Amino acid sequence: MINAKAIHKRFGTVKALKGIDLDIKEGELYGLLGPNGAGKTTTINILSTLLKPDNGSVFINGLDILKNPVSSKKNIGIVPQEVALYEDLSALDNLLFWGGLYGNPASQIRSRANEMLRLFGLSDRRNDTIKKYSGGMKRRINIASALLHNPKVLFMDEPTVGIDPQSRNKIYEVIGQLHSNGLTIIYTTHYMEEVEKLCERVGIIDYGEIIAEGTVEELRNRSNTTSIINVALENPGNANLKDLQKSFETVEVDQNNQLVFRCKDSDKKLSGIVKYMDQHNLMISSIDVKKASLENIFLELTGRKLRD
Amino acid sequence: MLQIALKDLKLFLKDIKAFILVMILPIALVTLFTLAYGGMGSSSGDSSPIAIAASDLDSTSTSISTMQKIDSLKGLKLKHMDIGSAKNRVINGSETAVLVFYKGFQDSVDKGADPPMELFFDRSQEMEVNILQQALIGNLTGILGSKNMENKVHTMIDKQYADLDESTRKMIHSQVSEGFKGNDEEFSSSPEAALKMTGLVGEEKTNWGMLQAVAGVAVMMLLFSVAGMSGTILSEREEGTLKRLLYSPIHPNSILFSKMIYAMFVAIIQLIILFIFSWLVFDLDILTNPLGLIIMIVTTAFACTSFGIFLASISQTRKQAESLSTIVILIMSAIGGSMIPTFIMPSFMQKISVASVNYWSIQGFFDIFGRNMATVKILPEAGMLLLIGGIMTGISLFRFRKHVLKVV
Ligand SMILES: Nc1ncnc2c1ncn2[C@@H]1O[C@H](COP(=O)(O)OP(=O)(O)OP(=O)(O)O)[C@@H](O)[C@H]1O
Ligand SMILES: [Mg+2]
Repeated sequence: MINAKAIHKRFGTVKALKGIDLDIKEGELYGLLGPNGAGKTTTINILSTLLKPDNGSVFINGLDILKNPVSSKKNIGIVPQEVALYEDLSALDNLLFWGGLYGNPASQIRSRANEMLRLFGLSDRRNDTIKKYSGGMKRRINIASALLHNPKVLFMDEPTVGIDPQSRNKIYEVIGQLHSNGLTIIYTTHYMEEVEKLCERVGIIDYGEIIAEGTVEELRNRSNTTSIINVALENPGNANLKDLQKSFETVEVDQNNQLVFRCKDSDKKLSGIVKYMDQHNLMISSIDVKKASLENIFLELTGRKLRD
Repeated sequence: MLQIALKDLKLFLKDIKAFILVMILPIALVTLFTLAYGGMGSSSGDSSPIAIAASDLDSTSTSISTMQKIDSLKGLKLKHMDIGSAKNRVINGSETAVLVFYKGFQDSVDKGADPPMELFFDRSQEMEVNILQQALIGNLTGILGSKNMENKVHTMIDKQYADLDESTRKMIHSQVSEGFKGNDEEFSSSPEAALKMTGLVGEEKTNWGMLQAVAGVAVMMLLFSVAGMSGTILSEREEGTLKRLLYSPIHPNSILFSKMIYAMFVAIIQLIILFIFSWLVFDLDILTNPLGLIIMIVTTAFACTSFGIFLASISQTRKQAESLSTIVILIMSAIGGSMIPTFIMPSFMQKISVASVNYWSIQGFFDIFGRNMATVKILPEAGMLLLIGGIMTGISLFRFRKHVLKVV
């Protein structure tokens, strides 16, 4: 559905994109994960014909978007990073206006607008001006506005930044629904939890390059850390970190004075940890095993944390 | 394209403040300006008396009594002084004009010839001088040509030559009357020629002050309102909706054109409301040349809109556009004759004023309402407005493509 090859883009001296390749199948929900300034928005802007790449090619639904920008635009829905709505118009008027720009019949747009208001749970607020909406509700209409013309592909650029958990969950729910209806979605974010929860496939982008790509599980297996074991001790003062690190390379003490072990095979490690504690007279008060998040993978790949 | 314009109109109608600014403020200002100009150039106005200097080099009974007559007129006051200092006072701006009766004034009047007189005036005070001119010419005709004058002379003779015997005085009287007879016809037209003044104002019935107020304020307020409306393109950029418009298959140029359609539509409505108001309240005869008026309204709206969009296109932000517009529009309106009529400006300013939108619009409206010209005669003004508008639109499109669309 989306096929991009070797997209390069520079702004003056800043090389924003240094050869991005994307191959996204129809109906796929693809997450583009990266820290601030990684090039997520630039990628979306190029895929949506708003920006011209310096070189490279982009095909969407079989159309070369650089040669057919106008017809390509009808296939594309874009949710901008910032809420872009007319504050003084009602939600319904906003939807009707944005939908009306694609040349579809008015009756079709109207029924689609009502459908979207239902989908996003805002039917009863349809006639309120956007001004009166909460941040989360605005974000919902911001997404709905991109769907009025029934696009084949939806680009969502950090659609959940700075919103309340209720609206966030509503948005996840709607994305799940759109996805199950077969819409192809590219979702950018710097929240790895979102990607883990929502996306089938993830591309990790950093400094304008995709440094890793695959399903969340694939990425996790590729890394040295698949699990994280948190151990709380009754008597943490007695533990000797230096000595611990001799036995277990990847151990740290976190801010709660808990021991954090990173490992690939948690079962084996777990018995080793219990044994060590026993030998050194350390009382375990709780122990907890988690799957490693993509945060760790990013850390391993770049030596930096995803969020600073 | 039309959807965007309709959306903007919807937003405009929701904004009460903008509505008042665009529709009510111009009406208030026109009223204010009309009152301020008073009956400038109008036959029915009652402005405060104009004082001018006067020098009587003839010092004869005729010249003295004529001066007295003029002085007694409502709306005119004469300040007698010698010609040299009077001229100096005009030159240094202390007086608007000096009326001079030369030696031989009485002789000429007696002979029925043009009396030698001259009005020296300050060119920059043309408005006052124009009014003065009308008043002087009209009244000189009346004073010098009337029986009243003759009677005055008779009484004067009786008073001054009371020691003469009856028959001599009768003889003098009949001679004087004889002289007046010949003068009557000739004099009815001669003061105008004798005063040697050109460029007299047109229609007697025209209330030039009101017309100046309506046309001047209309164009200036139009510029302000369209500048505001054009500025919405910058707020759309700031609020991200311009970016969203660019996501759609609509051609980028259409976004600019839709703003122009919207602004032009509101501008035309604004002008229509203003003219209807002037018709109802100031008796402006808006039906005198409907076709010409429509042409002027549309071309004025187009030129102003292009100018507004031009101001938006050279600004980075809405705020910047607003302050730039305020300055540029005020200056252009001042130069173009929206605040003060161009004919009272010094000639170098008059030359600059043709570069403004205001000038051509105002002249066009003057042609229709003041000079009662046929529709073809206003085509040059309409053409100039189209030309200015076309150039401004062209530059705006270029700037818009190059700078405003840079939203990513
Ligand atoms: N219009 C522009 N002019 C100059 N530099 C730009 C422009 N747009 C982006 N950049 C630069 O390109 C790089 C990538 O920016 P981009 O906005 O794509 O990052 P992002 O991944 O979307 O970040 P964020 O998470 O903060 O939204 C950054 O270094 C940014 O400073
Ligand atoms: Mg971004």
